[in-house]
Amino acid sequence: MTIDLSSHSVRSIREGLLSKDFSAAELADAAFARIEAVDGDVHAFNATSKELAGAAAARIDAMVAAGETLPPLAGVPTAFKDNMNLVGTKTTCSSKILENYESVYDCTAVRLMLDAGAVPVGKCNMDEFAFGSSTENSAYGPTHNPWDLERVPGGSSGGSAAAVAAGEAVLSLGSDTGGSIRQPGALTGTVAMKPTYGRVSRYGVVAFASSLDQIGPFSKTVEECAETMNVICAHDVMDATSVSRPAEDFTAKLRDGVKGLRVGVVRDLLDLEGCDPKVRERVLESVESLEALGAEVGEVNLPSTQYGLPAYYIIGPAEASSNLARFDGIRYGHRAQDPTDVLDLYMRSRAEGFGPESIRRIMLGTYALSAGYYDAYYGQAQKVRTLIIRDFERAFADFDVLVTPTSPTTAFKIGEKAADPVSMYLSDVYTIPVNLAGIPAVSVPCGTVDGLPVGLQLMGTHFSESTLLRAAHAVEAASGFVPVPPMVAAL
Amino acid sequence: MAKDRLAEVLTRWEAVIGLEIHTELTSLQTKMFCGCPVAFGGEPNTRVCPVCLGLPGALPVPNELAVEATVLAGLAIECDIARYSQFHRKNYFYPDMPKDYQISQYDVPFCLGGHLDVEVEGEGAKQRAERSGVTETDAGYVTRIGVTRIHLEEDTGKMIHVGGSEGRISGATHSLVDFNRAGTGLMELVSEPDIRTPEEARRFASALRLIFLSLGISDCSMEEGSMRVDANVSVRPWGQEAFGVKAEVKNMNSFKALHDALAHEIVRQADLLDGGGTVAQETRHWDVAAKKTSSLRGKEEAHDYRYFPEPDMVPFTFDDAYIDRVRTRMPELPTARRDRFMRDLGLPQHDATVLSGDLALAAFYEAAVAAAGVGRARQVSNWTLGEFSAFLNEAGLQADGAGIAPAALAALVALIEDGAISGKQAKDVFAEMAKGGGAPEAIVERLGLRQMSDAGELEAVVDRVLAANTGQVESYRAGKTGLMGYFVGAVMRETGGQANPAMVNELLARRLS
Repeated sequence: MTIDLSSHSVRSIREGLLSKDFSAAELADAAFARIEAVDGDVHAFNATSKELAGAAAARIDAMVAAGETLPPLAGVPTAFKDNMNLVGTKTTCSSKILENYESVYDCTAVRLMLDAGAVPVGKCNMDEFAFGSSTENSAYGPTHNPWDLERVPGGSSGGSAAAVAAGEAVLSLGSDTGGSIRQPGALTGTVAMKPTYGRVSRYGVVAFASSLDQIGPFSKTVEECAETMNVICAHDVMDATSVSRPAEDFTAKLRDGVKGLRVGVVRDLLDLEGCDPKVRERVLESVESLEALGAEVGEVNLPSTQYGLPAYYIIGPAEASSNLARFDGIRYGHRAQDPTDVLDLYMRSRAEGFGPESIRRIMLGTYALSAGYYDAYYGQAQKVRTLIIRDFERAFADFDVLVTPTSPTTAFKIGEKAADPVSMYLSDVYTIPVNLAGIPAVSVPCGTVDGLPVGLQLMGTHFSESTLLRAAHAVEAASGFVPVPPMVAAL
Repeated sequence: MAKDRLAEVLTRWEAVIGLEIHTELTSLQTKMFCGCPVAFGGEPNTRVCPVCLGLPGALPVPNELAVEATVLAGLAIECDIARYSQFHRKNYFYPDMPKDYQISQYDVPFCLGGHLDVEVEGEGAKQRAERSGVTETDAGYVTRIGVTRIHLEEDTGKMIHVGGSEGRISGATHSLVDFNRAGTGLMELVSEPDIRTPEEARRFASALRLIFLSLGISDCSMEEGSMRVDANVSVRPWGQEAFGVKAEVKNMNSFKALHDALAHEIVRQADLLDGGGTVAQETRHWDVAAKKTSSLRGKEEAHDYRYFPEPDMVPFTFDDAYIDRVRTRMPELPTARRDRFMRDLGLPQHDATVLSGDLALAAFYEAAVAAAGVGRARQVSNWTLGEFSAFLNEAGLQADGAGIAPAALAALVALIEDGAISGKQAKDVFAEMAKGGGAPEAIVERLGLRQMSDAGELEAVVDRVLAANTGQVESYRAGKTGLMGYFVGAVMRETGGQANPAMVNELLARRLS
């Protein structure tokens, strides 16, 4: 029998396994068959992991056979962004400099997913080292949006988003430094969450900007997003910025509704010039439906967030320039041939191994941290960060959740913005302030514009994921929109 | 001779010296930011993990005990402990640095502004021609050396250059890196430029070493590199405010090397200036065999380390409760112990200084005094610093590994003090103890060394001796009192050396008067 993964959820897989409608091994086979069929067009994956998947599926099937209690994500075909270490896979970060880098240890979040029964199907394409918003900056070629193969899936976690949207995986993990989960979530019609900074361990995800990076899930539904959050939110002694909190069941209040929930529409962000009016329209329609369900809707401004983009393009590259120094050709990764001395080895290994956007960010960051410029750039950017945090604090005094579009536009054409980095950077204007403030946010599909999905972003104060997911669940239910790309619908 | 040259130079030139002292926190079980064990040497690249190898995605987690050790070190030399502190990244490329940045501290180190009083006596004291700002003592002077800061960072790996001469990089065909040391907690102390002579530098460094040893934070081995001292040194004419051009001197692997390298460097700089030349700002390498410094590299291009706050860790905030809790771990420091030995045990300064300058010996001594009683503290000290230390030196042992229990030495002292054996006999007994001969009482028994202390018995021997030497007795009584030794020797011969000498002296004096 053929299993269509796109019609399956964590829950239906569990039920199917328990009723022996299918085995975990059959599910994994279905995932690989689907990848075989469509990934030539989509290119969501850099590599598949059939052996690991086989072993994980066999373990689940043995548990089913033995009548043991199944773990929460039992048998769920899951994809991981290619910046997350997993023994038995290469972790390339879609860069030539790590083309042959084999992981020697497991990323904590990946390990938690596998311990929860997830079946790893492969590693997903991304913008090189997560530098980008379109997954075009990959040394291995762009990922195509399952909704329209001529368009980008967003980025940098574009592969993880496309894998779920195209039915190649049921769940995936991405990483979000300035919107790299939420923006591709919006552009591919998937539910995508960036948790509070410190909620999910960063151990084992190759660092872009340490003070901003956070791992989070992609799924087709809000419920599965909550189920995945239940698994990956855990204190980790291997990450000094990981927060120790009592475990929370993010599914518990999912269906409690939004009656009395104070929803703030961020007026000044919504009115930004670059925002597609039709995107704005979809978002406001969703807000109206929340109001109809009893939410108390108001408006708020976040004036300092207008400086978020420039501050982000100082802090992000500054930290990245330091984090990426280790890729020097000495211990692992690409090494230039026949160096004349160690400096030549460094310079050529890096020049040959890094793509143009990585080089641009490393140079930006190096400059911003240089003596004499530090105060004007990095110091100033940190001050902006403080102002943005205060803006949010003021807003959260009046509102439980804040609403903006996730992205100012729907998915754009491949190549459309590639020549203009600044216009590309602008596609993260709504998502970046969230990373700078360290707060959680979720992007949930809320309709389409010209056949392409639109994402609505819900932002909350630190550790308010449960509230955000409850609101997202209401948006999902109210929109009545089932985000199925045509290529999947055609199955 | 070099010493005379230095003394002469220091009459015309004032040397200005500041030290940078790196101390590996070898007493900790684990490295600074990961769980790898800390140890010296070993098979290369065996004590490593994703964190200290800087593998992609690995994160540092600070070792709380390393932070505590640094705070403790700061408290020991009266530093202010920062209320708010954090790590910074120091960015530079070098193959011994797995991440190509070093996690270090920058503008908010854990400890700021301490000091250490250094005592200089003896020959070295004379080197300081003009002793302004120092306190004179009987034996020399005391000078206060300021400490700018103590911060914590991670150590690098070790490079091994192959194919060149003496393992140096020039001429090498290739280089190997051993990351066993990478990520070991490294405490860096920076002194103020308050040091004026090589002797002060030597004493400052060795006093610090003793303090760190007392705190139990490092084995402070200069040979193995767990304590590394670099010096910035310049000279200026006496009375001049402005500093001269300084050179940084490296590769001093012992306190003697530190002293000798500074002495050489001061004379070298003075000679240059005396000859109308100038001192170049550079890093110089002490060559212990050639007994001279040589230029290692010229004034470095202004290195831009692009320091910024380490984003993988949250900043530290220390409250009074934390600092007080660390302070409760403070052991008695070496100078306090020395003062106590003088005050409570009546030891002379020299003896107290030597004992408190060796932690194992001091601990041995304290245990022996506890067994012997405070009333015999002086005698125990004499034996500890005398026969016992001589034996340790000869055997190359530490006091805690000598196989002689403190209580055994106390028992030996008791045998002497109770008159059971003579001091001379005690030396023979100690020799047996050192050979593993057992408890002193048993040795005395075995060798038949019991001292004859019975007054009646001794009187009989004395009378016999005097009766057999009537001529000498007459001479003595006529004024040849030097014959006393002859009588004592005769009694000793008669008793096979076992007579109690004090009693013999007393009896003879009584009979002959």
